[in-house]
Amino acid sequence: MTAVVELVETGSPVVELVETGGFRQAQSPGGQAQSPEARGVLKLVIGERGDRSVAVHQFHQGALRVLRPHYLDGSGQVGYVMVNPGGAYLGADLYVVDVEVEDGAALLLTTQSATKIYRTPGSFAEQRMSIRLGEGARLELAPDQLIAYREASYRQGTRITVHPSSSLIMSEIVTPGWSPEGTAFSYEELRLRSEIRVEDAGLLALDNVLIKPPGGDVNGLGFMEGFSHLGSLLVVDPRADQALADELHALAAAHDALTGVSLTASVAGTAGLVLRSLSNSTGELSRLLNACTAHLRKRWYGQEPLDLRKY
Amino acid sequence: MPASSITDLGGRACRDPGPTYRLPLQQLTDSALPIGAFAHSFGFETYMERGLVRDEASFGAWLAAFLGQQLTYSDALAIRFLYEGVPVQELDEQLSAQLLPRQVREASVKMGLRLLEIGSEVFPSPELEAYRDAVTTGRAAGHQPLAFAVVARSLEVPLEEALAAYLFAAATSLTQNAVRAIPLGQNAGQRVLRNAHDGVAAAVERVRSLTPDDFGAVSPGLEISQMRHEKQRARMFMS
Repeated sequence: MTAVVELVETGSPVVELVETGGFRQAQSPGGQAQSPEARGVLKLVIGERGDRSVAVHQFHQGALRVLRPHYLDGSGQVGYVMVNPGGAYLGADLYVVDVEVEDGAALLLTTQSATKIYRTPGSFAEQRMSIRLGEGARLELAPDQLIAYREASYRQGTRITVHPSSSLIMSEIVTPGWSPEGTAFSYEELRLRSEIRVEDAGLLALDNVLIKPPGGDVNGLGFMEGFSHLGSLLVVDPRADQALADELHALAAAHDALTGVSLTASVAGTAGLVLRSLSNSTGELSRLLNACTAHLRKRWYGQEPLDLRKY
Repeated sequence: MPASSITDLGGRACRDPGPTYRLPLQQLTDSALPIGAFAHSFGFETYMERGLVRDEASFGAWLAAFLGQQLTYSDALAIRFLYEGVPVQELDEQLSAQLLPRQVREASVKMGLRLLEIGSEVFPSPELEAYRDAVTTGRAAGHQPLAFAVVARSLEVPLEEALAAYLFAAATSLTQNAVRAIPLGQNAGQRVLRNAHDGVAAAVERVRSLTPDDFGAVSPGLEISQMRHEKQRARMFMS
């Protein structure tokens, strides 16, 4: 283990982030999950202190950090916004994000803006995310859309470990990324792979989206089918069941998108819901995913819909 | 098992009947194998309802996509990994996790269980018994491509032949289902199957170069249709 750039350890409810003051100004942290070449590293551990959730440990390095935490309502759920000051992912860029939500704590993690992948000639940009949710822990992961531009290749690998009593809601929107000529799907390859494991029990869901426009009929039947945007919602919760899948399906019917919803097999008493949707606009998919998320927040926590535009 | 050279009653030498796995493989991949494939459309019935699969050409397009995407990245890759020695239970767990549309996951297990049952009666092997035992004791679900792969491997069917036979068997049962459901003429069905030869060959070729990261890669349209099938009002098929 070499020197750690920034480490804030605190039990106080509000944690002020300390700026790293520069990109890669110190040695990389050790540990197997982090490549020494990582362009950005973010670690966040959220714990429950009193009646609200706070960061009990956080670390950032390079081109990734989080904004000051906020509390959107009285539920105690803490909200963090991830920021990539560099603004975009380029070839060979590696971003490492490590999030843990301890027993009983609740986190809402969003991004400040869309993730943009620019040209990555002969290489690819990559984000490796590992997430651990403790007993009764809760995570809502709601990043802005992902935009892959011309000649971009991107791999996003997310490994999540949950406790059978944890609750996870994650959403994702992928947009086609237009070339200067106005052609959609001019990127090389997108891989978005999420693996959800139940601690000490086994694999619950493996969601593997792979889009390779060159050499394939990406607009064709079975693939994007003429739509430009892809939305996904993944929910893991012991309360997830077929009735809830049916409710989300009914909610989706009110939106201008082609949507499917299905229930995963159950593992150790918990189960997942997967919603997949094709549409022609980020706005429409956001409204759909927000409507589903709002339904779950209301049902399970009595919380109001997320309005991420108010901060 | 037939000997490599046999002599008929008249004493004339017959032609070499081929490798010993030839007839077993034919039996395993015959569309008359009673594993219930007639009951599954794997989502093409949803396209029928949307009016997108309605004739020979449009069904052929769906079949090409299904073969080149889902069957390649999931079933065929599972078969390859099993041949390469990845433990069957590990692959079984991954298939259960990556077949996100419920009806497709349940179809894979339903047909897998029948194949395990038939396989252990007609082509028993210690490997197949071990997989069956894992299923019986709740350590595995029992997926069709894995049940097939375990039997094919125990019969020493070379991987590429096993893959081609499996994929073409899947294409055949789906086409037979389309002939009944759309409906298509019998000859049209045969033309679709003839056209699927290239797709099967391309899939066998592509599977070679795929990596564990490719396992279970989904095509959004196919997957959404498979999910939406759960909500379709009038259906002939269970998936």
